[in-house]
Amino acid sequence: MKRYILRRLGLVVPTLVLVSVIVFGMMRLMPGDVVTRMVEGQAYAPTIEALRKELGLDRPAYQQYLEWIGGIVLRGDFGTSYWTRQPILDEFVQRFPVTLELAALTILVSVVLGVLVGVVSAVRQDSLSDYLGRVFAILALSVPYFGLAVLVVVLPSIYFKWTPVWTYVPFSVDPLENLKILLVPATVFGVTRAGPIMRITRSALLDVLRQDYIRTAWSKGLPERVIVLRHALKNALIPVVSLIGLQIPLYIGGSVIIEAIFRLPGVGLFFFEALTRLDYPVVQSVNLIFAAMVVGLNLAIDLTYAFLDPRIRY
Amino acid sequence: MATVAPLSAPSLAVDAATLPRTRPWYTDVWIRMLRKPLGVLGGVIVVTMLLGAIFAGVLTPYGFSQTSLRERFIAASAEHWLGTDQLGRDLLTRVLYGARISLYVGFGAIALASLLATAVGILSAYWGGRVDLFLQRMVDAWMAFPPLLILMSIMSLLGPSVLNITLVLGIAAGIRESRIVRSVALSIKENTYIEGTRALGSGHARITLVHILPNVMPTIIVTATTGLSTVILTEASLSFLGLGVPPPYPTWGGMLSLSGLDHMYRAPWLAIWPAVALSLAVFGFNMLGDALRDLLDPRLKGR
Repeated sequence: MKRYILRRLGLVVPTLVLVSVIVFGMMRLMPGDVVTRMVEGQAYAPTIEALRKELGLDRPAYQQYLEWIGGIVLRGDFGTSYWTRQPILDEFVQRFPVTLELAALTILVSVVLGVLVGVVSAVRQDSLSDYLGRVFAILALSVPYFGLAVLVVVLPSIYFKWTPVWTYVPFSVDPLENLKILLVPATVFGVTRAGPIMRITRSALLDVLRQDYIRTAWSKGLPERVIVLRHALKNALIPVVSLIGLQIPLYIGGSVIIEAIFRLPGVGLFFFEALTRLDYPVVQSVNLIFAAMVVGLNLAIDLTYAFLDPRIRY
Repeated sequence: MATVAPLSAPSLAVDAATLPRTRPWYTDVWIRMLRKPLGVLGGVIVVTMLLGAIFAGVLTPYGFSQTSLRERFIAASAEHWLGTDQLGRDLLTRVLYGARISLYVGFGAIALASLLATAVGILSAYWGGRVDLFLQRMVDAWMAFPPLLILMSIMSLLGPSVLNITLVLGIAAGIRESRIVRSVALSIKENTYIEGTRALGSGHARITLVHILPNVMPTIIVTATTGLSTVILTEASLSFLGLGVPPPYPTWGGMLSLSGLDHMYRAPWLAIWPAVALSLAVFGFNMLGDALRDLLDPRLKGR
């Protein structure tokens, strides 16, 4: 166990270093000079040379890299946004709760919907409700969430004179109003993500329901509700949890589009606006922070498994 | 000493009716394919899309960027079956040409991805040791990035173009898929026939190309088919944000686009039809891929 944890931790360090090298290299090696576009597109500095100097691009690459990484590791300094002239980390921290809340609600919607339909489908295998459930899963997989989001924004406003609320209210100011604002985007995104969860719940539950201990539970005369919900579902949910863990990067990526459509002031919108304003220091740092988060999350998931199931060895 | 019992002459007359009929494998796949109605439906959608894309120029009398300011925001009519957009361009024409771009980017990216995944996956698995460790840490690092974020960043730096998005999506998908190819190649490498062929004096090139590659092929075909829907969807997301295929080329993502949202309040069909086309395409490729996986994956055979 101890050896596993050490080995797993040992893998994280080179991954994080490579992540930072990829982000750093991406901004410098791409053809088409970033600095020229930043000056010509947004006039972030009077001349190209001035901005190059300000960004430290006049020094050798390894020196720039060490300075950048050193600032992050030693001082928690992720650089400044060129658009707002504010520290990037401050803006990230301030906006992160919105993205986190959106992600949490999205996952909640997709899990409730996916598990519910998955359980019904598995318990009533090959019935009409199973068939409908599977069709729902396929449809949810096929409809692009941004397409659905656009339709949800546009169609009700034409036919029912209903529009989503565009002014965001923080949770701390008015929790109910805040939930009302986030509910529509979270539902749209969550429904399209429920497909894979439904499919994996169904197949895992079908597997579990054929096991011996379930037969024992039946022969004890337990009611179906207890067997399915208390005995079988618990074990069937393990792959569902790992699927959600694997899909965290997709939720983060999707939040960019969802926040851009519904004008939610989260990190996704921050990132998207930075891209359109050629504010590349922000782009670089947000990529790095999210990738580091994913690495940390994967580590946590793996360690949790090792803790829960002592058979897991690397 | 045991005496060998005299063998009776084996009867050579085999009753032909009791022999299992032998069919070539593709006939077998074809017959089993027909038992998968959703897979067939997926195939029909994909073929229809292919035909629409190929014959787009013949099917409609309009050009995809042919504007007509007198015919802006026209609802569905005899001249314009799906209506027109804010510049008076025929929507049906643009949806058809959109299929062409989607397939062009999709097939191009997947071809590149398959090549890359095969090369990296087999190399990593076959060589093992430090090469494998290094390559896999690179893949780890790449997979840590939320895909849409890093792709948006790269496309913004490179600038939107059909060639750029095909290359970027192809390389990104290739890195991801190399993991799958590697895991399959790893298990094939351990087979005794690989050891046997090495004992017979086969070199690295012969072992990887003649013995490992053909056995990885079914996995590559399945990953490529299911990967197509992901690539098409990602291209659409990037074009939706204005970072994929640049105008005036019509793409479904670009037609739904964020910047065109205002026009859609006036003409909801501008949002509906591209979304329907995109969903149908993804549905088609998903179903076809699912069916192909059931048919080609040796681990699922007989289920």
